[in-house]
Amino acid sequence: MSDPAGSFVETKLVYAHGLAALVTLLIAVTFGIVASIELIAPDVGAGSPLLTWGRLRFDHTQGILFGWLGNAFLAFLYHAVPLLTGRRVLSARLGEWMFGLWNFAILAPGWILVLLGFSQPLEWAEFPLVIDAFVVAALILACVQFLPPFFSRGLEDMYVTSWYFIGALVFTLFAYPMGNVVPELVPGARGAAFSGLWIHDAVGLFVTPLAVGILYFVIPAATRKPIYSHFLSMLGFWMLFFLYPLNGTHHYIFSVIPMDAQIGAITASALLGVDVIIVVTNLVLSVRGAGWFPRDIGLRFVATSTILYLIVSVQGSVQAQMSINQSVHFSDWVIGHAHLAMLGFATFAAAGGLIHAWQRIPWARYDAMLLTWAYWLLLAGVSVMVIDLTIAGLVEANLWNSPAPWIESVRAAKPFWLVRTLTFVPIVGGFILLLAGLLTGKRGAGLREVESSIGLDAVLEIAPRSSEARV
Amino acid sequence: MKRFLRMSYLVASLGGVGFFTMSMLLLGVWPGSVLERQISGMSPEHPMALTAAEERGRIVYSQNGCAYCHTQQIRYLERDVRRFGRSTLAWETVFDFPHLWGTRRIGPDLSREFAIHTEDWEYQHLYSPRGVVADSAMPSFSWMFDGAPDRPQQEARDLLAYLETLGRNREIAGSEGEAHARAACNCSEEEKRFGFDPPLLNASAAMPRNASEIPALGPATDRARGLRVYARNCASCHGRNGDGNGPGAKGLRPRPANLTEHEYRSERVAQILWNGVPGAAMPAWRDMAAEDLASVTLVVRDFYKPAPAVPAPSSGAAQIYADICAQCHGERGAGDGYAANSFRIVPRSFVTGRPSQAAAVLTVRDGIEGSPMAPYRSRLTDAEIDDVAGYIRGFFKP
Repeated sequence: MSDPAGSFVETKLVYAHGLAALVTLLIAVTFGIVASIELIAPDVGAGSPLLTWGRLRFDHTQGILFGWLGNAFLAFLYHAVPLLTGRRVLSARLGEWMFGLWNFAILAPGWILVLLGFSQPLEWAEFPLVIDAFVVAALILACVQFLPPFFSRGLEDMYVTSWYFIGALVFTLFAYPMGNVVPELVPGARGAAFSGLWIHDAVGLFVTPLAVGILYFVIPAATRKPIYSHFLSMLGFWMLFFLYPLNGTHHYIFSVIPMDAQIGAITASALLGVDVIIVVTNLVLSVRGAGWFPRDIGLRFVATSTILYLIVSVQGSVQAQMSINQSVHFSDWVIGHAHLAMLGFATFAAAGGLIHAWQRIPWARYDAMLLTWAYWLLLAGVSVMVIDLTIAGLVEANLWNSPAPWIESVRAAKPFWLVRTLTFVPIVGGFILLLAGLLTGKRGAGLREVESSIGLDAVLEIAPRSSEARV
Repeated sequence: MKRFLRMSYLVASLGGVGFFTMSMLLLGVWPGSVLERQISGMSPEHPMALTAAEERGRIVYSQNGCAYCHTQQIRYLERDVRRFGRSTLAWETVFDFPHLWGTRRIGPDLSREFAIHTEDWEYQHLYSPRGVVADSAMPSFSWMFDGAPDRPQQEARDLLAYLETLGRNREIAGSEGEAHARAACNCSEEEKRFGFDPPLLNASAAMPRNASEIPALGPATDRARGLRVYARNCASCHGRNGDGNGPGAKGLRPRPANLTEHEYRSERVAQILWNGVPGAAMPAWRDMAAEDLASVTLVVRDFYKPAPAVPAPSSGAAQIYADICAQCHGERGAGDGYAANSFRIVPRSFVTGRPSQAAAVLTVRDGIEGSPMAPYRSRLTDAEIDDVAGYIRGFFKP
């Protein structure tokens, strides 16, 4: 079978990053599981500095950010950018170097250094500064690799996914050094203001635009219907890049950071909810007809990601409000929120995008049934975990506001922590099936499925174009 | 038209970069300059920077993720101030490269950890957290020790040195520093209340309340409740049976009181619960509900097992007491001798609490390790020790 995407897509790089994403995901999740076990059985890692809870916690989130989401996003960029622009990425050779840099100069040494005790205590920035130098280099190379096709094509009539990808590549490059380096140079409260910005920018300028770009790409590509409204797409895009960076201070409400900055961030957080409602409306109107659980499994992940994006964002807008924040801040509620964002919205988008791209690699194996099981297990796992942690957060908040000794809130949380740990069964099961679904089955099975359902034309795509929008 | 579109995209792209720059200016640079003015206005002249050991300890704290369970940021909220003390001011954070504010509290906030706990408590707690705080979720840092809580390695010593800096500058600034900062603070009355008013409740034994501020605990009858409170909060050190032999007792000097050997008046128990024992590992519990404190008082008093009567002390005992004990414990045994104020751990009052004869003999003979109470076995004969032990028991007023 010929390469359906013409000779534009570097399918080997899609494959390599996709595989790296799932392997590093399993490692990153293992860090998380061991850390969660240590909360209910704190003596599990006793006696070994390598198994200290804090170090595992650092490696868990950094692994999810760089290993799983980073690799999955890169895989999707290699699939989508040539299709969106009709041009190759700059260089396949550069892609190989980037792959090595990302996984073997950033992720692997970062994990090891953290376990050995070299790290910085900044959220979403725990890898030590020496690793950050490689991250910045990789981010520059990513811009060099993926931006030229957009610019040589011209910015006119560009589809919204392209805008999201360009935005993510450029602004992550700006925001990353700010979050990782400035707090090392500017002390205390003043540095915390920048830290707050990065905590939100890591999610808002890196994860969200890439994930939303995937949603906007996969939905029209898999349904063969244009996006509902180009206007709403662009409105949502610009609101995102205006509002997300202004949210940062909402991690430090009621702190000594000037109240005007806090109120600005709280207002931006509320408006962000409005933005997400606009984006999700547009996406849901585009996917309608395929149903809540579309048959195409990549599309199904993406459709669910859209709904989770709405829930997590509205939750975020609500919990940034002072009356809610004063209770639930610092509690497991926020951990639930973070998992809804990363394990829910972002993971479902990344998985959907990865499956979508994988299906279109002519020589890749593909087993739809395993992927369907992966979907249900993951949905069950993340739902139980988020509900469990949200209730735990409310219980903790309630005890903190009572005269009970602090330790009572820890005691009350333990049953919830146990349930959270047990959700590893469906979640790890889901991830293993996801990996299995992409490594077993017949070669080219994915492509044949596309052919029989929406026809091969759709695969020769076919960037969803903005001029085709319905409104 | 095409040209116009191209231009508009260019403008929009520049606008995008502008958005990001604006976020940095509005939420990073501008608050930074406000904070800087605040710091220069409110800071004491020479806040203490970290020593080399404290700085090393800060790195240990950072690299083990302590900040991911313990915040160092007391918010301007009643619920934070009541538990942890005055809200964090910007000038207190000027040596934090990078900050360690944290966004999750699994354990308590540590902004005011300075002098809340004693060294022996901290080491015991790092070595075996569940030894002193039952059901704690904190990891054991026993790998920073040579096999025992009283044998810390460099990392543990540095870490403790760092913990002892948390809130230290604020304490050193004292009331004068508070007044200076309060006057310079351009903030609302509410913020001033959270930022500067002395916290009523936060449970630091280093900041005892005056006797007049200690509320009388009502008579309690709910023994079951008291037992529950005792098991959850006290038994780890004082032991399930009150014998002072809980799992956390090993590393503590002085050791936790053996409650079966002491008869306490309830206001003595209340006073210790409210203030802790400054200088010893016993924390203050004044943030607990009054009913809990009252019911646990009941339990503590019930641990005492009356011992068989002992013969009355001879007349020589009074002379020994006056010569040796009175300078600290006071002529009438109220713990108010003229030297009493020079000790971090105040001498015991025999008026509000009475040891058993056996415990008194042991204490006079061997002293109390970790406290100013010295052993007298080389200065007094066994008969004299028996005698004076009986004599001090006579001060008690039930």
